[in-house]
Amino acid sequence: MSNRIKKIKVGMASCGIAAGADELYKILEANGNGIPLEEVGCIGHCYAEPLIEVETDAGSIFYSVTDTKQATIDNIFNLGEASRFGISEIRAAKENVKITRLCGRISPTDIDEYIANGGYEALQKAQAMSSAEVIDEVKISGLRGRGGGGFPTGMKWGFMASKEADEKIIICNADEGDPGAFMDRSVMESVPHQLIEGMLIAAYATGSNKLFIYCRAEYPLAIKNLKIAIDQAYERKLNVINGKPLEIIIKEGAGAFVCGEETALIASLEGKRGMPRFRPPFPTDKGWNDFPSMINNVETFANVPVILAEGGAEYAKIGTEGSKGTKLFALAGDLENPGLIEVPMGITLAEIVFDIGGADRDSVKAVQTGGPSGGCIPVELFDTPVDYDSLKSLGAIMGSGGMIVIGQNRCMVETARYFLDFTHRESCGKCTFCRVGTKRMFETLERITAGAGEIADINFLEDMGTKVRSGSLCGLGQTAPNPVLATLCYFKDEYLSHIENRQCEALECPALVDVEIKQDKCIKCKLCIKNCPVNAVSDDFVIDNTLCTRCNSCIEVCPKDTIFRCKKGDGYYSG
Amino acid sequence: MSTDYSCLEQIDKNPGNLIKGLQTIQAEHSYIADEAIVATANYFSMAVVEVEGVVSFYAQFKRTQPGKFQICVCDGTACHIKGSTLMLDWISTELKIADGETDADGFFSLETAACLGCCSLAPVMSVNGKVFGNLDRKATLKILKEYRKK
Amino acid sequence: MANITVTIDGKQLSAAPGETILKIARDAGIQIPTLCHNEKISRTTSCFVCVVKDIKSGRFLPSCSACPADGGEYESSSAEVSDMRRSALDLLLSEHNGDCEAPCTIACPAHADVEAYVRAGRDGDFLKSLQIIKTRIPLPMSIGRVCPRFCEVDCRKNITAGEGGAVCINDFKRLAADLHYEEYMEELPELNGKKVAIIGAGPAGLGTAYYLRMQGFASVIYEKMPKPGGMLRYGIPEYRLPKDILDKELNHFNKLGIEILCNQELGKDVTLDELKKDFDAVAITVGCWKPSSMRTEGEELAAPGIEWLEKIARNGWKGKNPGRTIVVGGGNTAMDCLRTSVRLGSDNVQCFYRRTEKEMPAEDIEILEAKEEGVIFNFLTAPVSLRQGENGLILTCRKMELGEPDASGRRRPVPIEGSDYEVEADTVIAAIGQKTAIPDATIPANRWGDVEADKISQQVNDNIFAAGDCISGAATVVEGVAGAFRVANSIAAYLADIDPTTVHADPINVSRGHWRNMAIDDLVFLRNDISDEPRVEFDFLPPAERKHTMDEVSRTLTKENMMKEGERCIECSCTSRDECKLKEHSESYGAKPDAIKGEKIKAGYDNRHPSIIHDRMKCIKCGICVKICKEVVNENLLSIKQRGFSAKVEAAFGQPLPDSCSECGECIEKCPVGALDWKIKK
Repeated sequence: MSNRIKKIKVGMASCGIAAGADELYKILEANGNGIPLEEVGCIGHCYAEPLIEVETDAGSIFYSVTDTKQATIDNIFNLGEASRFGISEIRAAKENVKITRLCGRISPTDIDEYIANGGYEALQKAQAMSSAEVIDEVKISGLRGRGGGGFPTGMKWGFMASKEADEKIIICNADEGDPGAFMDRSVMESVPHQLIEGMLIAAYATGSNKLFIYCRAEYPLAIKNLKIAIDQAYERKLNVINGKPLEIIIKEGAGAFVCGEETALIASLEGKRGMPRFRPPFPTDKGWNDFPSMINNVETFANVPVILAEGGAEYAKIGTEGSKGTKLFALAGDLENPGLIEVPMGITLAEIVFDIGGADRDSVKAVQTGGPSGGCIPVELFDTPVDYDSLKSLGAIMGSGGMIVIGQNRCMVETARYFLDFTHRESCGKCTFCRVGTKRMFETLERITAGAGEIADINFLEDMGTKVRSGSLCGLGQTAPNPVLATLCYFKDEYLSHIENRQCEALECPALVDVEIKQDKCIKCKLCIKNCPVNAVSDDFVIDNTLCTRCNSCIEVCPKDTIFRCKKGDGYYSG
Repeated sequence: MSTDYSCLEQIDKNPGNLIKGLQTIQAEHSYIADEAIVATANYFSMAVVEVEGVVSFYAQFKRTQPGKFQICVCDGTACHIKGSTLMLDWISTELKIADGETDADGFFSLETAACLGCCSLAPVMSVNGKVFGNLDRKATLKILKEYRKK
Repeated sequence: MANITVTIDGKQLSAAPGETILKIARDAGIQIPTLCHNEKISRTTSCFVCVVKDIKSGRFLPSCSACPADGGEYESSSAEVSDMRRSALDLLLSEHNGDCEAPCTIACPAHADVEAYVRAGRDGDFLKSLQIIKTRIPLPMSIGRVCPRFCEVDCRKNITAGEGGAVCINDFKRLAADLHYEEYMEELPELNGKKVAIIGAGPAGLGTAYYLRMQGFASVIYEKMPKPGGMLRYGIPEYRLPKDILDKELNHFNKLGIEILCNQELGKDVTLDELKKDFDAVAITVGCWKPSSMRTEGEELAAPGIEWLEKIARNGWKGKNPGRTIVVGGGNTAMDCLRTSVRLGSDNVQCFYRRTEKEMPAEDIEILEAKEEGVIFNFLTAPVSLRQGENGLILTCRKMELGEPDASGRRRPVPIEGSDYEVEADTVIAAIGQKTAIPDATIPANRWGDVEADKISQQVNDNIFAAGDCISGAATVVEGVAGAFRVANSIAAYLADIDPTTVHADPINVSRGHWRNMAIDDLVFLRNDISDEPRVEFDFLPPAERKHTMDEVSRTLTKENMMKEGERCIECSCTSRDECKLKEHSESYGAKPDAIKGEKIKAGYDNRHPSIIHDRMKCIKCGICVKICKEVVNENLLSIKQRGFSAKVEAAFGQPLPDSCSECGECIEKCPVGALDWKIKK
């Protein structure tokens, strides 16, 4: 064996573990004859998990290890050709991995490995500059808030730096609450030091002395890795800025989407109900315990070391006029290669969805950006460049980076209903328009998807949607109607079909579909009969749609795929 | 009989740590009982009703004893479009409990989460924090069966 | 710091920096509605009823919290801002789960404050009860006897006590009037010199005169009959409304100085032209006195019910035995004819009605009592022809069956071929309805032949107004006085040069729903000492006795019994309906409880505290009470729990306010909607 294995790195971020990486790790350990194993984070190719990187003298070989059979394991140790993983050329060409350069490549809990890869150099560099110069560098970079708002980061830092107070607070918003977004989780799990470095640079630049990381409790691994990283940073006295040690405190969120909103997050940090308040005063004037407080999100902070390392001007070379740098997206939904991607601003949606995501061009209907605060963009508009302003002009938002690909077989009314279900439950309940308005919009969408909609409902959704937008204090309410308004803009025909024809063309809404067995291909195996929870399948293999709850159990178990959803009225009804 | 809430004592008495205090209690006792709220209020020198207001605001806090195995079906966007509603339905039918309920013998409890952050493996669910991905009906029911044996 | 300049609704104002738009506007006399705002506490910013538009940015701002920039321009009174405010109010109303008014009051055509007069009766103060009644019911002695009790049909006691178990509301009117009618005297305003002519001294005419007098207008009633009272005297039989009682009631009108001129028929003794000139306004309240046709051959041989009754009335409710009597029709007039025939000595009285008992428009109690008195009912039977036979009149009848529902929603009777049969009778009375006989050619008629008048103001033309049966078609006495109330207000407005269509309050009413769609758990009990006793029993003359006398069938119930009956009232209305800011703003912005449909608040209520009711289903989550208790009273006894649509305000663990609550009443006083209130209703 000329090619010696030096080390095997196992991707053990949450996605890897969920795919079975911990079990794989144990097997590799047992079979490895002492070959060093290392737990690393996520390189973003979640679709191929569990992923391992085998470091050899001749470079790294990646394997996508989807089973733990002895042959598979042996193949790895023999550096066999089977189940090798390579990044497609087209994806490699489109991506620009800068911020996540070290994600999945180093151990998240090994500060030395981070330092060996250039970590904390930016912090040192920053401290050699004046704080104003650091802020200028960030301003030159054109970095805008990656949490969704898109506020120029350098400007915010400038505001903060100008405040005089006994205590000045830096808060990292790591309460990644958008369903369908996991960029921040991945960064925190894989390169926690990068976040801490970014925060310390911000603290230096703005003269802040206390640092909070408000992380959602649903991310235990991220919290664990951050805690280790903070301890390590303390140990190396990296947190000593201008001669004073700064406190870095992790606060776990307790499950409230609205706490992604600045003022609600601060209330939560203070141990209160996470209710937003009217601004002004802005947090940089009156934040945590009334001290000036500046909030940036994880990805924003993770950009900072890169900016400082290469210089703002260099950083600004990537991107568009108004949106600089690269952006992380969590790609999921109806596509081949879901996962975390990093792309230059200005890339088109088509490039992301088709070239990187590997989605089938004929089967995609739309993409949802910005989660429940964003909008659906139809496939016809996929030439749109991805930047803050272009997406906004389409009624969507950049958001924090969740990007869900929606296939032709998905119902857009149901999609809107789903998002409103989420937002109306997450509303803190303060503003009338948000508390009751989103509830009424949700109820209206429930009626439409249940086949009881009226034409007047569409006008109501449009009117109320606009009012909820302008009659809410915080981002949750201001953006909650977006999924409805965007689908009404681009997919009104689907709404009309539900209302006027009582049909769901995508065959998704249970109240508007029937289920039938294609008799010619049925092999009479009776699995459908056995698995039907409501005995809706007769002895002669006819589904009674009067009884059927559209639970799909029969469709799932059918070995010959002979059971289908069909148009309402096409199925058999006993009564 | 009073429960021991001394786990609070490792936390600074600043009311800003209220949520942390509650999380500590829940980690120790698996839920937050009325008397835990009273104990917490006393500890942080706050009004009981205010602590209760905070507890009820956050989805993380449970006010009743959950099952031995807490099943959490992810209803994030990716999981939703990959059929998490159906998955919830299957589990619900199998265990005869609805979202938010615990079965009669306190074995399973069922809830949904906004997102478990494993969107690329959608649909996913977790049992006591362990995440299972790429689930179909067969795989889901198999997992339940395995836990039932425990 | 120097003052800043702000423009609101085009007005340039100078203000200190840091003041809110709301404060600046209010100081300048610009009214902005608010619900969640209170000076005493820190800003809440939740209701969004106070929004104004920032003209420069196009954004809507909550004026209670937003401080303007120097040179800021805002609008508060544009259509767009009003629409935004209305929507906020519509949303709050859509979740508001309460009752502004009690269902009885809503059901009462005269909108009497039922709860208040029942409560006064419960406390034994029937004089106060009468005073409350008379603000809406100027004929309580009569209506207390003949009202079909719309209020009781909708009473929520029908849930707890079972259908028919409503509070016996009407008898409060009767008892209060019987006890105190003669001693009771209204405080009368000075006469203002204006005078109104009223045509017809029936319930509507009397009511109009009454309400006009209460506003300082004198009136003269022209009545074509020898005595006043209209249907009360000539239509409703003695045994239901004794005429000495009626005389007593009408005597009060003399005390009020209302002039009633009898034997004065319009068009004969006096003309409309004269009245129009001689009086400031004219009210036509002539009622419905023209019998409807049976449209059958030989109809002229039958006596029209209303005329038959009138003849007997003019004779002092005496007459000869009508012999074998057939009455065709199923309304209250038909019942009156049937039961009067019994009393005149007939032992063979039959009713023919073309639908079934279920569709009969007569009151249930009338049908029951007629049956008790031996009347035979023939349902699904229609007259075909009438002829004179050798031994009397011969009525040919046809059997019917019910078909599809007609426009009224009742199933249409369809003849069964070949089912004709004959019945012999000495007297046949046709009591199948009545119409208005319009007394002057210049008065326009509507498509039903009644007087055409504006629906809201009841103005006919110029200074002519109308009320009662003559515009609505035959209806009840209480509907007659309700119309009188409306027309009197219209006339008063008209004579004050105010558009009479604008003076009729259109209060919004939030309702928890009709009792038929509610369960006991949906009810809100203000007190926990509400009586579960069954409904008080009527005191009737036994059927055998009453068949032979015109004496009143029912007797007035005792004070003791009615006080006990009052204990049964649930008191459904809102304790703070007169102070509710949600109601006030909704009315001024045109917000409606049914504008937006959806789930109502289900947070329940708490009546366990001895003096405070906490009805969370009315709460708008402004949090004023929470903050008042914490920031002003320094008690911290309340908190908002849950979030989103489920958010609610509660004391600790959903318990009532604890003993440590000093009942200072701050939270109650500041609650904009009465979600927190004292239990004792004023």
